[in-house]
Amino acid sequence: MLAFTLRRLLIIVPMALLVVSVTWGLIRMAPGSFYSEERTLPPAVEANIREKYGLDKPIYQQYFMMLANVVRGDFGTSLRYQDQTVNEIIFRHLPYSATIGLLAYLLALVIGLAAGVMAALRQNSAFDYGSMAGAMLGLSVPNFVLGPLLVIVFSLWLFWLPPARWGGISNLVLPVLTLAAIYTAYIARLTRAGMLEIMRSDYIRTARAKGLDEKTVLLKHAMRGGIVPVLSFTGPALASLLAGTVVVEKVFAIPGLGNIFIQSVLNRDEPLTLGIVAFLSILIMVFNLLVDISYGFLDPRIRYD
Amino acid sequence: MAFAGFSQFRAILALIAFALLSVSCTSSAAGRYYGKTEPPADNVLRYVSGSEPESLDPAIPTGQPEARLLMAIHDGLVEYHPKTMKPIPAIAESWEISPDVSEYIFHLRKNAVFSNGDPITANDFVYSFQRALAPEFLAKNAYLAYYIRYAEAFNSKKAFVRRADGNFVLRRELDAGGQTPEVSSEVFGPQTETGTALSSPERLTVPGDEKARTVLFEKDEKLGAITAGAEFVPVTGADMGVEAIDDYTLRIKLRQSAPFFIDLLSHQFFKVVHRGAIEKHGAQWVRPEHIVTSGAFKVKEHYPYDRIVLEKDPGYWDADAVRLSGIEFYPLEEATTMMNLYKAGSLYAVYNAVPPAAWIDTLKEYKDEYMDHPAVTLQYYTFNVTRAPMDNAKVRQAFALAIDREAIATYRKTTKPTIDFTPIGIFPEYEEVRDRIYTRELAKQGRTLEQWKARMFDPERARELLAEAGYPVVQSGSGWASPSFPIAEVEVLYNTSESNKAIAEFIQAQWRQNLGITVALKNMEWKTFLNVRKELDYRGVGRAGWVGDYMDPFTFLKLFYTKDNDSSTGWYDPNYDRLVNEANRELDPIKRFEILAEAEFFVMDQQPVMPFMTDSTNWMKKPFVKGMYPNPQTLHPWKFVYIEQDSAKWDQNAANIMVERDETVLSHVERLMQTQNTRSAMGSQQASVAETSAQ
Repeated sequence: MLAFTLRRLLIIVPMALLVVSVTWGLIRMAPGSFYSEERTLPPAVEANIREKYGLDKPIYQQYFMMLANVVRGDFGTSLRYQDQTVNEIIFRHLPYSATIGLLAYLLALVIGLAAGVMAALRQNSAFDYGSMAGAMLGLSVPNFVLGPLLVIVFSLWLFWLPPARWGGISNLVLPVLTLAAIYTAYIARLTRAGMLEIMRSDYIRTARAKGLDEKTVLLKHAMRGGIVPVLSFTGPALASLLAGTVVVEKVFAIPGLGNIFIQSVLNRDEPLTLGIVAFLSILIMVFNLLVDISYGFLDPRIRYD
Repeated sequence: MAFAGFSQFRAILALIAFALLSVSCTSSAAGRYYGKTEPPADNVLRYVSGSEPESLDPAIPTGQPEARLLMAIHDGLVEYHPKTMKPIPAIAESWEISPDVSEYIFHLRKNAVFSNGDPITANDFVYSFQRALAPEFLAKNAYLAYYIRYAEAFNSKKAFVRRADGNFVLRRELDAGGQTPEVSSEVFGPQTETGTALSSPERLTVPGDEKARTVLFEKDEKLGAITAGAEFVPVTGADMGVEAIDDYTLRIKLRQSAPFFIDLLSHQFFKVVHRGAIEKHGAQWVRPEHIVTSGAFKVKEHYPYDRIVLEKDPGYWDADAVRLSGIEFYPLEEATTMMNLYKAGSLYAVYNAVPPAAWIDTLKEYKDEYMDHPAVTLQYYTFNVTRAPMDNAKVRQAFALAIDREAIATYRKTTKPTIDFTPIGIFPEYEEVRDRIYTRELAKQGRTLEQWKARMFDPERARELLAEAGYPVVQSGSGWASPSFPIAEVEVLYNTSESNKAIAEFIQAQWRQNLGITVALKNMEWKTFLNVRKELDYRGVGRAGWVGDYMDPFTFLKLFYTKDNDSSTGWYDPNYDRLVNEANRELDPIKRFEILAEAEFFVMDQQPVMPFMTDSTNWMKKPFVKGMYPNPQTLHPWKFVYIEQDSAKWDQNAANIMVERDETVLSHVERLMQTQNTRSAMGSQQASVAETSAQ
């Protein structure tokens, strides 16, 4: 178990560096640069800029300079926002995304698990069909449709909730709902499938045969195995939710990491893009590791060698 | 089963969405105003700033969004007139201009202070200009200040050439054909040592970098010979034509005659900054806890990507007349999000070009709110006059006449048709003069102004001209054909974009319909395109657009000025330069416009370019926001803006907003103008550039 964790932790560093290198290559291949604008710059100004940012050096030198900074964990100053460091920007905007993401995921967990378990227990009932139809709807409506739809109804018709921006609790309702829809649907379907399989397994039959009451069978034995698929989904889902979801943040003008990420790419703000990519890749790998470790606690059938 | 259900759901969903959207459109159209319309009790304007500002340092950002924000917190020598955008006094309460318009003397008001209470003096302006133009500062807007003597040389690390005898090599020692003429070497304002040095004949500057210099000298032997054995002295900020004569008098010496320079000074790039704050905090001086500002509003909070909260600065010299108690700027990107916030009443205005094209017909119904006025932009096609068949003026004229500009405007929705290079509706005084001069010039050729204006669309004349050029157009079936026209030599080059493509296809169809000529279309990625067009590597026709930097016709007409001009056509004529030089040495605005109009006629008659449309403004504001006008650049001097609680006094019918007199705003502007008007009246030959702005 310890060896497994260490091995996985060690692999995170080279993986993150690989991701950063590929991203760097992609940025450099994209046309345009952070200083280019519609109006052509006087050549002297452009030359001064290139000199200051080392763009006049050979490309391999630029690559190793970038890599050296990344290894030190110092992404430097944003090219566009010259008074702010990359690390500062990431940690300033992470909480916005994390708040929306966590709330949405909690909501999705509560509703999704409940609906999934209920549907599994009453397979082929009206509730089962109804909730699974709802889940299918949740999956098939993209959030760039759901978000504006909610805005039209609740903000522009009824004037109940603000249509966008960060602010009070009322500002959270629509983005959290929009974001939660698809995850609720996933979790409900995963839970239902997992529970259906488990409820038919031998050890549940054994538990029942032992004379345990149905509540204990369900909560103590079936749930632990039944939500393993949900757990494997949770790792990457939570990591990407915490780190910001581009569409919802755009539609609702939330100053989260996803929004900043897209802007950094459009601005060709190389240090900021690399910083966010590195942060995201590490976050996702750590969450996956946590999920893998927790399998062992939930499902005694899983072993680490 | 599952799949059938899936597609049914989608269909139902689409129906629901469609129903919701259509209901939301129709239900709101019933009301007079678009969405919630309630003036805020706290007297704070809530506005959108576009993307997160690059910086709050006025010398850094180049975008319009930042411009709107920065003009609230930083003050400069002059301020935009809220309607005409002509300069009105700000920290400079008055100014004088030398007879050849190459030197400006500004008299600063004595009660102007920074937000920390420090007085603003002429030295602060000298510091601000020198800082912004220093090569290591990397200002992308630096070119705006290149009219100041040696500013370009300083910004591009150039060096003077000093001979062994201690004298500097002068620019006039080299053949200066096709260049801007030298300005007067007489000191105009108070005589000072620096003033005399600034007015002495212009020195030659060469690259400060030795490598670049060697390359240049090898190419230009004459230059090499003149500079042989000389010493190279780097141009410094102190060499620039900006001098604090005393604490409240500032001299700016230009490298050329430029009556429009005063218009440029309202730009954020020329705003004053606080030396102490910058030297203490470096790049971080713009953070809310460090920033020292000079404008009507100061920074209270700045949460990046969320909001920038400004509050009125009670210490501002004109604070008594500032009516808003604060402004909140929201950095938003998504047009629909902005429009939603506007409709929900959380934003009181959106900036230009926000409303999406598909909404415009609906939004235009809200006549009190929708702003449809000319903007200071021009869209045109260039002709490569260095290659056949476009080296023939008649062919160029034929192509220009053969497109229906009204039809393009109807199709584009937010544009207006135009035929001249200075767009219609932005410089009304110039247009008046231009009509007069055009009539005079056309009479010489036996033509009338009406005939000229028919250039909007005149396919018959186009076919005649093409025939005169040797490419007869003949009837072919129900259309036309021009069999002898060298079709392989002409194509339309444009930079890749959906709207450029749509316009190019439209114009292509027009030429096919009216001339029987089907040109090929070719698109290129922006940077490649710019290079190809500039190097004249294109065949026939290229797309171009221009946005004016300042409110003077010269911001457009300069594109044809000097031999290496930016017109990307290969067109150059010394007669045009002669007219422009003459105009820019003229202090009387009307006489100057007359000469400029003659120059414009000269170039447009030869048709090296084919203007076809100017953009119109496309934005909305709530009717209770007053003093905020659809001026050509959508830049709002915020100290004139206010919120009207009394709905009887709200703005009605935005079509008239530019001609209606709002006494609250106008009396404020007139009071500010007084100091300059008095100064102009004092000097009899001092024509007031600003007088034209007193509407």
